Amino acid sequence: MSAHTRVSIVIVLLLAATASGACRRGPAIDTTQVTAVAVTGSLPTEDPLAAAWDGAPEYPAALLPQDIIEPKLMTAGAARVTVRALHNGDWIVFRLGWDDPTENILAQTGVTSDSAAIQLPAQAGSLVPDPAMGEAGKAVHLLYWKALWQDDAARAATGQDRIAALYPNATTDHYPFLANPAAKEEMARRYAPADAAGNPVTRRASTSAVQELVAEGYGTTAAAPSQQALGHGAWRNGQWLVTIARPLDEGPGMARLTPGQKTFLAVAVWDGTSRQAGARKMRSVWIPLVLQATAAR
Amino acid sequence: MARVYNWQLGRAMDYWYSENRPKRQFGAVFDINKCIACQTCTLSCKTTWTSGRGQEFMFWNNVETKPYGYYPLAWDVNLLEALGPQTWDGATYSGRTVFEAAPEGERVLGWMPEAIDYASPNIGEDEINGSVDKGMALSLPQQIWMFYLARICNHCTYPACLASCPRSSIYKRPEDGIVVLDQSRCRGYQECVRACPYKKVYFNPSTGTSEKCIACFPKIEEGIQPQCFVNCIGKIRLQGWVNPPERAREDNPIDYLVHVRKLALPLYPQFGLEPNVYYVPPIHVPDPFLIQMFGPGAPAAVKTYRNARNDKTLAGLFALFGSTERTIPFFRISGDEAIALDDDHRETVRVPIYEPLVIRPAEDPTRRIIRLNTT
Repeated sequence: MSAHTRVSIVIVLLLAATASGACRRGPAIDTTQVTAVAVTGSLPTEDPLAAAWDGAPEYPAALLPQDIIEPKLMTAGAARVTVRALHNGDWIVFRLGWDDPTENILAQTGVTSDSAAIQLPAQAGSLVPDPAMGEAGKAVHLLYWKALWQDDAARAATGQDRIAALYPNATTDHYPFLANPAAKEEMARRYAPADAAGNPVTRRASTSAVQELVAEGYGTTAAAPSQQALGHGAWRNGQWLVTIARPLDEGPGMARLTPGQKTFLAVAVWDGTSRQAGARKMRSVWIPLVLQATAAR
Repeated sequence: MARVYNWQLGRAMDYWYSENRPKRQFGAVFDINKCIACQTCTLSCKTTWTSGRGQEFMFWNNVETKPYGYYPLAWDVNLLEALGPQTWDGATYSGRTVFEAAPEGERVLGWMPEAIDYASPNIGEDEINGSVDKGMALSLPQQIWMFYLARICNHCTYPACLASCPRSSIYKRPEDGIVVLDQSRCRGYQECVRACPYKKVYFNPSTGTSEKCIACFPKIEEGIQPQCFVNCIGKIRLQGWVNPPERAREDNPIDYLVHVRKLALPLYPQFGLEPNVYYVPPIHVPDPFLIQMFGPGAPAAVKTYRNARNDKTLAGLFALFGSTERTIPFFRISGDEAIALDDDHRETVRVPIYEPLVIRPAEDPTRRIIRLNTT
């Protein structure tokens, strides 16, 4: 290699470093509100890594342990979650980002699944509900993403259920629900009482990683009448990036999100390694949310 | 926290909800001295209720060998250690219950098991630790003694699982005091798994919800004892109804054993849940261990039990164990027979108090052989 060539390579490397440095600008930070940027066309509802996210300012939301009612979260988890949002006049999609050194997907005794949720007032109006799960007569709308449900959808393609995923090498002698192929489904439900009781948390029929819930105070969470929400999480390098999307118009009983108007959102995250679930969570206060006015279409 | 009265502790205590006793309370007596750990109870329950996907390690009924057997691993010793000194002042408990010892931010003092803790029920707990002839191979805190402890949900008067659920998904049926977990409402937070000191609520990783013993309530509603009772080949179990002591009846078999004769004792009463499965303690176990496990009444109960055969009422009542599928709300002794009665005091079954007993000499002079006792 000649000295000339070597100099050229150094120059090229320097140029490359300069160029990448110029591109590595941090995201636009907005500490006053979450601004849902109006875009045209499709939204990255299930792509937390899409380039479209670069166009949305980032709101750094402080998280506090749920320490209002027992059981409380006595050891703080993730202290901050970043929130970005996009909308296209029909749907809104949020992207939450938070640090979590371990990826927990499958729940079993003593381990929960990493989760996150967005809370919105269920009804329009100037008085927002209590940020802690709403209050009687003033419901909140919850968009609840769980890593387990996302994994369920991925595994469904290969026919692998949660038990096979937890114990890939397990063998079993006999299940009654396998004895009679004709009655397999009925027997499987008989021995899975939560399914037989129609518990929405088992999520057997769902293909979405996000469940829509309503609540009017602690301990009142129930499935929302409409289940349209979508979302997808990606865990990379000790960080979760999760999209959560819903239609602006959820239908009867739920406040429409209107471009140009201001409302509020709150966020919460649960860390599976720390056995966080339910009331044991990191949560934010209400954060102003503004949907940018939609460009004339 | 409310103040409630726990008669097993002889005092009032803190509980998450106020006192609200059911119309009648499921109760049971297990005679530990008769249990041979055949696990027929375990399997009768398993095949009835928990043969599904996600219930592989779930035993609503289990039988473990004490002192070194546990299901799940170390379920009682973990909590005993966390609870600290458990002292009794006579018949009054002067230590703290799991409700009174709840740390800041918690409703109950509990601990969370891991999946691996359920993975090896009964493994290694029956192996003997030394040869009697050659002395002990290991130095152990206890002499070589053991007993089998059959366990189901205690359908407690003050359930810790119920207190711990932030969604109020667990409730106590007002008609029979059976503690059930609403399968349509549970969201799998596992607070109950953490809180139940007896570890009788289980997480189902297939459904993502928790499940527990339901005392076979569809059978109980028909006046029939649960599966683990009627299938017990050792006839160690009797199901009926237990009253608080001030309403105890001598003709109620559970009341008679628990309150009148104080022969059947709650399991770890110091936890404070007022459990409603009562145990006739094993007669060959050192007193300190029995007192820790069954409370200060254990030595007297052992003494009473040793004489039970000579006590016609006790002997008759024990003869009724396993004598009928029907629940036995009442009983009476008539001559040499014990009679089980239903809710309307109608006879359901009648058994001899004493079976004919023949004692034969070991040597059979006719055949000129030595008889072997094979039973």
